[in-house]
Amino acid sequence: MEEALIQAKISPELGKVLGVQPQINSKAKSLTEAFLKNSIQNQDRHNLKAMLTHKAVVLGYARPKKSKRNSKKAKGLNARQKRAMKVFQIKPEDQRYQLFLPLHELWRQYITDLCGGLKPTCSPQFVQQKLLKADFHGAIITVVRSKCPSYVGTTGILVQEFKHVFKIITEEDKLKVIPKRNSVFAVEINGFVSHIYGNKFEQRASERSAKKFKVRGTIDL
Amino acid sequence: MSADLGRTPRSVLVSDRSSFRDEKNRLSSQVEQLHLSYKVSVLLPECSSAPAHLDTVFNSFNSFYLIRKLPVYELLDKHFLESAVYQGSVYGLSYRMRIDEDSCVALTPNGHLSLSLDKDAFELLGVEGKPSRFNHRTNCRYVVSVDLTDSSMAPGGRGYQRLLTGLRSRLQLKTDFLLSHHPGGGASLQALLSRYDWSEHRPEISSHTLTHLSCPSMQSCDPHSFLEWIGAVDADISCENSSNSFLSSLVCPEPNTTLSQALRVSVCGLLLPQDIHRLIQQIRCYLEQPRLASWVSLTVHGFADSPVSWGGNEHGVLRGGENFYSLLMFHDHTYHLHLATGAHDTCPP
Repeated sequence: MEEALIQAKISPELGKVLGVQPQINSKAKSLTEAFLKNSIQNQDRHNLKAMLTHKAVVLGYARPKKSKRNSKKAKGLNARQKRAMKVFQIKPEDQRYQLFLPLHELWRQYITDLCGGLKPTCSPQFVQQKLLKADFHGAIITVVRSKCPSYVGTTGILVQEFKHVFKIITEEDKLKVIPKRNSVFAVEINGFVSHIYGNKFEQRASERSAKKFKVRGTIDL
Repeated sequence: MSADLGRTPRSVLVSDRSSFRDEKNRLSSQVEQLHLSYKVSVLLPECSSAPAHLDTVFNSFNSFYLIRKLPVYELLDKHFLESAVYQGSVYGLSYRMRIDEDSCVALTPNGHLSLSLDKDAFELLGVEGKPSRFNHRTNCRYVVSVDLTDSSMAPGGRGYQRLLTGLRSRLQLKTDFLLSHHPGGGASLQALLSRYDWSEHRPEISSHTLTHLSCPSMQSCDPHSFLEWIGAVDADISCENSSNSFLSSLVCPEPNTTLSQALRVSVCGLLLPQDIHRLIQQIRCYLEQPRLASWVSLTVHGFADSPVSWGGNEHGVLRGGENFYSLLMFHDHTYHLHLATGAHDTCPP
């Protein structure tokens, strides 16, 4: 903002011409104040002195603009691309039971951490609650009962969990796909055996952690 | 006697008339096909005490064994299979297990093992089976039928292993078991018996003399009324229809005669078809001699709780579970044969 000149000293030549004499500063100041006081309307409401002190007057809100970040979040693959790229298929040479045993150990540690150290004195109720929200990839599961008799007895490490099936790998290095419906699975950890009723478990593993289980219907197969 | 007909469960009656002398008679096949018989009752008219040769036959029925708490997988034991089942004359049935409540097991001489399981037991066992034919709307009963002499069930084979692990570790089925074998068959049950708590039993024989029995004339009697009359005699129900006995309104079919005396003998236990065949032959010899009466009636009842009936067909219990046949023999070597079953049964041969 340009500064507007309010007061300037008269140069001596101009003083001679005009025939005035510059006053000393203090006298000039008091003269100016008295003059202003006489000429301005008496505004007792406003504290004129306070108003004239330098105050920052906010004329308008203007935030400094942040430059928009143009980074896209990595979008997942849709189902067609997944199938085309065969990301979720395990190659035959990778289908070996021994390869998945470390995964099972990892799962055991995960569960013991989840339940805060699985002591034999833990109540089964508490363990069950934790297991409901837990992830089962790497668990050794067994089919205990099933409407289809040929599924009964299959045991293996859970490799992939989908919405409606379990993919497990058995000790004979066979990848078996077992539907969840109409079967009861048993999971064993540190002496706690839990039975999972497949009919009530048909959600994706990721969605199950947020799901509330209601007691509805029958657990009869 | 005729209850509300709309609600009567159905029953099947097959009647056959033929002669022992006819080569084409199917009597032996029909008699042999009921493998597991429970009771034989014989009615000898105009007779006060059993003649000696019939008495010996009654007393020579084979004894049977009762094994307590036999785990069913023992029936698949390799040694038992070789020494008993493959020889072909072992008869076995689970004892005191109800066919509509619990699981029942039957072993027939042709090597078929039949398990009648309820839904939970079948889902635990994990062996191929079929839903029972007598399920109404929902499948609550399943039948697992296995041929132990088949090559797929040879010890060590996949089918055999699966059934064995199923019975041993998944579904631990333990029942009291009645076991019997025909002596001439060469089977030896001792190895199995020695491992468990067993007891030997002889068939129970009871005889009763009846006086002043009114009986219908056999040639003109229709099968239904004849069977009702025979049943009434066997169960000790009087057919007098006197006014002070309102419990039964059974009457003897007309036209009837009065017998001064009659002998009723019944034998109970796990009875073998061969013994019954021998009894029939002896009764034929008895009838050949000139007698007052010209007929003898023999009724053989099968087990109500057996999973198999004639020829390995499935058997169930709705209200009665009866499966029996009644043979009426005449002195001229003709016979009337009636085979009857209840609601949950297939047609007899």
